[in-house]
Amino acid sequence: MTSPGDATPVKPPPSFSPGVGRSASKSRFPDEHEPTLSIDAELADTGSVSSPTPPLSATTAELRIRSASPQARSVRSSTPQLARSSFGSLFDGRFDGSEDIRSLIIRAFSPTIAVYASEDTDELIKNKGFKGGFWELLRPFGETITGKVIIRDSIGSSRAWEDYGVRFVDLKGLGRAPASRDSGRDSALAQIEEVLAQQLGSAEGSLGASLSSKDVLGFPATISLAKLFLRQLLSSTTAAPHETFGHPVASVITISSRNKAPLETLRQLYAETNTGDKRLPDWVHQEYLRYYVLVHDEDRDDITESTRLYDQMKRHFGLHCHLLRLRSSQCIVTDDDSVQVPHCEWLSPQEHLSGAGEAETLVDLGTDGTPYLFDSDVSAIKSFIRELTVQSVIPFMENRVAVWNDQVASRRRGISGRFMSMSRRWAGFGSSSRSGIGGSGGATSGNYDTEHNFYRQDTPEAILRKMADYAFMLRDWKLASSTYEMIRSDYGNDKAWKYHAGAHEMCAVSMLLNPLAMSAKIKLESIDQMFETACYSYLTRCSDATHALRCLALAVELLKSRGGSATESAARWAMRVMDFGLVGSVGQILFMERVAACYASKTPVGGAKWGARRRKAGMWSIFAADQWLKAGKPTLASACLEEAERLYADVLDADGVFPMPEMQSFIDNLRHAVKVEYLQARGFDTQDEPAVDDALGTEEISEKLDKRNHRRSLIGLPAQLDAGTLMSAGPRDAEDQPNDDFERA
Amino acid sequence: MSYYFTILSPTDTPIFNIAFGTSKGGGDGIARFRFPDTAQYMNQFIIHSSLDIVEEAQWTNGGMYLKHIDTYPPAAAYISAFLTPSGARFLLLHQPPQLPNSGSSGGLGSSSLLGSSGNLVARGSTSSIAANPTSPQTEEAVRQFMTEVYESYVKTAMSPFYKQGMEIRSPVFRTRVTAAGKKWL
Repeated sequence: MTSPGDATPVKPPPSFSPGVGRSASKSRFPDEHEPTLSIDAELADTGSVSSPTPPLSATTAELRIRSASPQARSVRSSTPQLARSSFGSLFDGRFDGSEDIRSLIIRAFSPTIAVYASEDTDELIKNKGFKGGFWELLRPFGETITGKVIIRDSIGSSRAWEDYGVRFVDLKGLGRAPASRDSGRDSALAQIEEVLAQQLGSAEGSLGASLSSKDVLGFPATISLAKLFLRQLLSSTTAAPHETFGHPVASVITISSRNKAPLETLRQLYAETNTGDKRLPDWVHQEYLRYYVLVHDEDRDDITESTRLYDQMKRHFGLHCHLLRLRSSQCIVTDDDSVQVPHCEWLSPQEHLSGAGEAETLVDLGTDGTPYLFDSDVSAIKSFIRELTVQSVIPFMENRVAVWNDQVASRRRGISGRFMSMSRRWAGFGSSSRSGIGGSGGATSGNYDTEHNFYRQDTPEAILRKMADYAFMLRDWKLASSTYEMIRSDYGNDKAWKYHAGAHEMCAVSMLLNPLAMSAKIKLESIDQMFETACYSYLTRCSDATHALRCLALAVELLKSRGGSATESAARWAMRVMDFGLVGSVGQILFMERVAACYASKTPVGGAKWGARRRKAGMWSIFAADQWLKAGKPTLASACLEEAERLYADVLDADGVFPMPEMQSFIDNLRHAVKVEYLQARGFDTQDEPAVDDALGTEEISEKLDKRNHRRSLIGLPAQLDAGTLMSAGPRDAEDQPNDDFERA
Repeated sequence: MSYYFTILSPTDTPIFNIAFGTSKGGGDGIARFRFPDTAQYMNQFIIHSSLDIVEEAQWTNGGMYLKHIDTYPPAAAYISAFLTPSGARFLLLHQPPQLPNSGSSGGLGSSSLLGSSGNLVARGSTSSIAANPTSPQTEEAVRQFMTEVYESYVKTAMSPFYKQGMEIRSPVFRTRVTAAGKKWL
């Protein structure tokens, strides 16, 4: 079990196959190893109530959330968490899943592959029930590639990744949007908020049961919400000039066996990607890989014919070809070998909103909205995508990175490149030169097109950015961060603010993702500075709220996963997000929970008790609970409240009473309100509620009379470790444990 | 500037509370926190949460006066701490006055509960302690205040009728703290 907060910095993954270890632990451990470990924790708890003895410290560090809650408290917790409390939320601290979120972030930046299919192919696929054509058929399968994907980085060492994926987009829709997008920037955020609200509504409609059981499997609702938010945020950005993640790395040109003039059609399709109205805008690099696919119709056409055609294709177009054998008839659920098409993980908020509505109408009809495919089709598509990625796309990208690194980056890194950029700086603001296509144009000053606010695709600035993005997508974060580092100041000199912001953002992100680099504090400061710059450029200079929010959200999650003192700056960034007002009301509460999670993930130093941020985490959880309640979501509020109780457990006395009277009364009121609303939402009669509450009240009051003198205090003790364990272990067990039992009885 | 001063016993129980405002620069000595009147518990939450930092700072800082240790950014609340040998801790929460122009801009996204945070940059121009909570002048003023309160606290704690950990109800002590606040803050 990898403990989320501190695993990464302490032990970097082995030099090969980091993905394997991580995803294996992620998928396997929750089922098998969790129960035994939690029993251990319980044993530890009953043995010595709140004092982490040195031999136990390893376990408690890993299981910090659980070990922080002595049993007595979780049993007595007054919040009405009926079914979920015993199961889901006990685990959520550990399932908080930094590794998971890290992988989510990594997968968000995966190569884009444009799909360009001939009419007859789309026709064939539409018959199978995919309205969007070939692109829609491929899309869900591209998100996870079966098996390991081995990538070689710039220094020649290769790594295997299990969670690699590619993003299929429709070539027709690519690069067209940005003009209209600019007006709709804010609406992207509004859409995210709407998606969240929708998800919340559906969760609340079935009282959280469906949400927790269906798609999150034991994760508490809010964690999955936070993930949904992040995923939406990361997929909301479309292809833009200033970053090339949305630009196609390759395009899949497809014909079907029904085509009468196959080779001519392929040529024509290829030509259309280069010229005419399908040509991508000027800021997209045109030299992307072309991959030719022949879709063979198993049901109607002759395979020998197709094989002959395929051989011909290979002779004409080289090795980047594939023969995809699909059946043309539509598959329905009742067919023998029907397989449900997986859901798309990376739907943009817009698609989510339109798609969700569609699914609802279909649910009324009693069928699921997702189409089905034959088993043979699924395996054919999967092996096609694997072959496409492993044999063509990744080698192509590796090759491009190597070439650009050699030709462009090294020249920029060298003495003349430095001189060039310096002379450019002093040359003043040159006229925007429009050098011809193919000209490297490195020497001319001012490659930045100030009128349209982009670098042409063949300028060194654009190529370097593309190279860094390729390296990032190949998960070679070292090369990526050094390249971003190199170009970020250039963008500033050219006053290309969006590029400037993007380079700073990605530089910081790739530094944080690089598992080996950076443990020193000075580095952390420079990363903070980069996020600061990126955020300022996005917000103030470009007023691009979506990217600013993405940048800050990445900062929060990645810094949190760094552990140690980075968690505090993660919390600070989360507060900044709230302060900037980038998120709506639901997002606001989610970020409150993130602050709590950040503080909760800060572990005590060594065996000492100080260094944790339990009280801060608890405070933010309480505030989040309050806000959930105000938003009318008592289920989530009670989850937060319980989380807060657990966080507060070891800083309070065993009786769980806050020393500060006003805090106590606020929390009591909150508990009561949550309980009432929760029961009301479930349709219980709340008439008998006051009686219960009275009982609760008297219980609390009686506890207040307890003497608290034997609370362990660090201040009074000369040596915090030994004395602490000696003092607290003995008398507390004897006195407090019976008390609790007595009250419960 | 508004202040909330608390003395916590070694068991984290508050034994003395006082809220007051600045008397410098024409202040009337009345606390005006940014939270609405219904949310005054916020002060205690912030103080309580900063104990995390106090517990950490007390082992890394040699002095009794720990200076400014913690900030609560959403409400621009600053915490300074002072340790006594008996394990009692003095915690002072200070909150700069809200600038009139930041009231509208901050309210956009932040909820009313957390208050809206002021613009920290704009505040740096003036050097008075009321306006700049992290400046050396403020640190010094808070130190003077803490030392003076500590003196009175020692005298109160030596009273034969006072047992350690009891709430301090002495009116004399309260007036002394108020006077110290008036004098230094």
